[in-house]
Amino acid sequence: MRLRLTGGRVLDPANGENGVATGSVRDIEIEDGRIVAPTDQRADAEYDLGGDVVLAGGIDLHSHIAGGKMNLARLLMQEDRRAFPEMPGNFCGCGGGRAVPTAHATGCRYAELGYTTVFEPAMVGANARGAHLEMADIPNLDTGAYLVLGNDDFFQRLLAAGAHQETINAYVGWMIEATQAFAIKIVNPGGINAFKFNARKLDLDEANPHYGVSPRRVLTTLIRAVTELGLPHPIHLHGCNLGVPGNDETTLATIAAAEGRRLHLTHLQFHSYGTEGDKRFSSSAARIAEMVNGNPNISVDVGQVMFGQTVTASADYMSQYRNRAIASPNKSIGMDIELDAACGVVPFEYKDKSFVNALQWAIGLELFLLVEDPWRIFLTTDHPNGGPFTTYPHLIRLLMDRDFRNAQLATLNKAAQAHTLLSQITREYSLEEIAILTRAAPARILGLTDKGHLGVGAVADIAVHTEDSDREAMFSTTRFVFKNGRLIVKDGLVVELAQGTTHVARPEFDRAIDKDMQRWFDESVGLKSKHFRVADGELRGGAGPTILKCEGVAS
Amino acid sequence: MADVAIETIEDVVCGFCGLGCDDLRVEVEGRALRAAGTICPEAARLIRRLDVADRPASVAGTAVDLDTAAEAARHILLGARATLIGGLGTDMAGAGALTDLAIRFGGVLDHHASDGLFRNYASVQRTGWLATTLAEVRNRCDLLLVIGEDPAGQWGRLFERLFPEAPLFAEGRRRVVFIGGAPGETARRQLGHADISHLATDDPVAVLEALGALSAGRTPPGEAFGGVPATELAALAEAMGAAHYVVATWNAAAHDDGDLVAERATALVDRLNVTTRAGVFPLGGRDNIIGVNQLLLWRLGYPLRTAVRGQASAHDGALYATEAALGDADVLLWVSAFRPEPPPSFAGKIIALAHPETIFDKEPDVLIPVGTPGIDHAGTVFRMDSIVSLPLGALRVATLPSVAEAVRCIAEG
Repeated sequence: MRLRLTGGRVLDPANGENGVATGSVRDIEIEDGRIVAPTDQRADAEYDLGGDVVLAGGIDLHSHIAGGKMNLARLLMQEDRRAFPEMPGNFCGCGGGRAVPTAHATGCRYAELGYTTVFEPAMVGANARGAHLEMADIPNLDTGAYLVLGNDDFFQRLLAAGAHQETINAYVGWMIEATQAFAIKIVNPGGINAFKFNARKLDLDEANPHYGVSPRRVLTTLIRAVTELGLPHPIHLHGCNLGVPGNDETTLATIAAAEGRRLHLTHLQFHSYGTEGDKRFSSSAARIAEMVNGNPNISVDVGQVMFGQTVTASADYMSQYRNRAIASPNKSIGMDIELDAACGVVPFEYKDKSFVNALQWAIGLELFLLVEDPWRIFLTTDHPNGGPFTTYPHLIRLLMDRDFRNAQLATLNKAAQAHTLLSQITREYSLEEIAILTRAAPARILGLTDKGHLGVGAVADIAVHTEDSDREAMFSTTRFVFKNGRLIVKDGLVVELAQGTTHVARPEFDRAIDKDMQRWFDESVGLKSKHFRVADGELRGGAGPTILKCEGVAS
Repeated sequence: MADVAIETIEDVVCGFCGLGCDDLRVEVEGRALRAAGTICPEAARLIRRLDVADRPASVAGTAVDLDTAAEAARHILLGARATLIGGLGTDMAGAGALTDLAIRFGGVLDHHASDGLFRNYASVQRTGWLATTLAEVRNRCDLLLVIGEDPAGQWGRLFERLFPEAPLFAEGRRRVVFIGGAPGETARRQLGHADISHLATDDPVAVLEALGALSAGRTPPGEAFGGVPATELAALAEAMGAAHYVVATWNAAAHDDGDLVAERATALVDRLNVTTRAGVFPLGGRDNIIGVNQLLLWRLGYPLRTAVRGQASAHDGALYATEAALGDADVLLWVSAFRPEPPPSFAGKIIALAHPETIFDKEPDVLIPVGTPGIDHAGTVFRMDSIVSLPLGALRVATLPSVAEAVRCIAEG
């Protein structure tokens, strides 16, 4: 199967190509799902792009799209499902919802925005099999999942017992393989575990009440483990004290704790709060952005807050238990899970007239605009925690259009306006920078060498947008989207459902750990380790995963 | 058949009751199966299979091949005004295929064991709850409240699984308080290393309400609640406040007022978490109801008791419950692969994808006997906590189609 896309302005920052700036157009040729060098062979189909902007398919490296907590959110927030029924003309008829869309709606809405790969950032090991079953039912997207680690009692016990790093590495490798994960996520390092022992907060250097292990040790040990195992993505960290005013100090200390090693700080907006002002809540975005700018080992995604009703779902039960007091509507679910992790689901409505919510909005934008290197910052709302991913086009316009941004700011809570320097920031993102944030940079930090660009050999995941000076309008729809070289979206509507793949990482590790895992599962978890393990054939309806082999130093 | 060797399969996963035991031993002799070793009576009964020929598929009682039966079933579905897809005792693959079928032909989806689930949901969807899972109870729980009748009859190894002799964290002798019925012999045996007490009552809702008030520092007016002296409840409330990890468990299906039990237990656990840690551990999970429900939530955005028609779905916990939905239905597609659960009495047409040993009051219009997940074919089921799911293996060569295969046969023709 050979396709030819003709006359597009190719915007491909990974390969240094910017057809939007130069005005030059060219053809892209696809053979059997991959981009190939142009030939003069007859194509099975040709698409005349007429100067439209051609991008690699979007990659979202942090969006909660699958797993038990999303189903708890669906169960709790049936009103979200009822308010957003099946889209008209939706040919398969399954699904709706906005804050917690169904698997089908997730795949279709993302595809319509030009996204083709999305990573679930908080898969709990105990729930891995279910999360993979759910991901297999998401059409049009390739997926992958980060395994939540660091709060599990097996790991905490290893640290408390002073285990060698080699043993830790073997354990991490075993867990990644067993759960078919792509990367390691740490959520509130050790805090979720400490909450099970009735601690209500845990600072970076505070000891776990049972194990005596500090979050700093959890973090530095796991940073070393993923480095030595050769995992492509660095530790994906949801830090301590999420949402707590004054957590800016924790965040700065956390960056310092990395000591120059690679670390990804996720939904940084929720971790950039100071305590200045009469409301004891202020923006520390400038301080934190400055430190991010000065530490090239650090990458971040923002977790931008977007106004409206959503539902927050996190493994951070310690923080979510605190937040349940401000649930809107007033109901919430929490769960301790399997000596492994936990979850907390809290509905929330971000209000533009609320001082705190308006300032959260501004803090997120300040971070976007003050972090200088577009290769180290990623466009996220921490879907659905800061807002649904369907708000991305609006967010892109906020970043690209200063007048629009300031006009929005002027409508918000007055006190919040006085507490942000947003109106003084003149930066506007370019289209090229947006392409970096949403394609090229996530592919690079995930180690996906055949994605996020349009060079020869790349997977033919391609989004075509018609340029519009209203960037929200431009990114709200796509003229064409191709998944693996198949047309799945035409003129903004899904025309075909493609089956994606699931990316997993496969590090090498010392398999002697297996007998320890067997004993742990038998004696403590009450489940056989072999039944905890998810087999390749359980992924994607038997198709199995797409495996990224890791070249680590710890074999 | 006397020459057939007996093979013993270890670490068999059990998908019947929702507790998810995965250490069963099963002896296989040709196509005959027999449990050995530690096993609960229900699993032993459902695993036991004789080496007999399977009942054939049939249309109006006449034996036919699978394709003919599937064709007849499709014909009925195409002519149906309102179909109830009930029973839903199936693994995840079967649940997915049945959801596809509902989207294609229309139908209401409900599971035969959903009464308890929806009594719990009355509480979950209004206030939410703070819950826990098996491995947490095993290792952390130092005070367990068992509300209602002793559940060991239905979940034969429940207390063995919940309270192992050497937990990681729970210190000293662990306490179990039965609020309602008395613990039976099985419970007492499995909890031999724990301190068991019993607050006899036929009104556990009143007891939970009083415990909630006492835990909040209030003294509810009255000498006794549900027949239990206030002094005993005050002592229990004090013990709960001093415990490290309190767990409340109940089987909502066993109580007509299971919704109130769930609500009061939820409120009590909420209150306890203000100062210590606690969680609810609701019982349920029979015949993969939790897994089917999970799949519907991610596929349709709604739980069980959802109607799919006109390429859209709608949920109503009352209207689309089996009994009510049957009142409006002209076709019942009954699915029960785990056990010979017969369909409810129904005057309309019945298509049964059924366990081969099912005894029917009335011969179904179409019968397709199906294999059992975990016996005849591999599959996935969820445990009662909705978090953990388990891989079922095949113990013998399948001669019957799985639910997923039978449904695909019906849909595709």
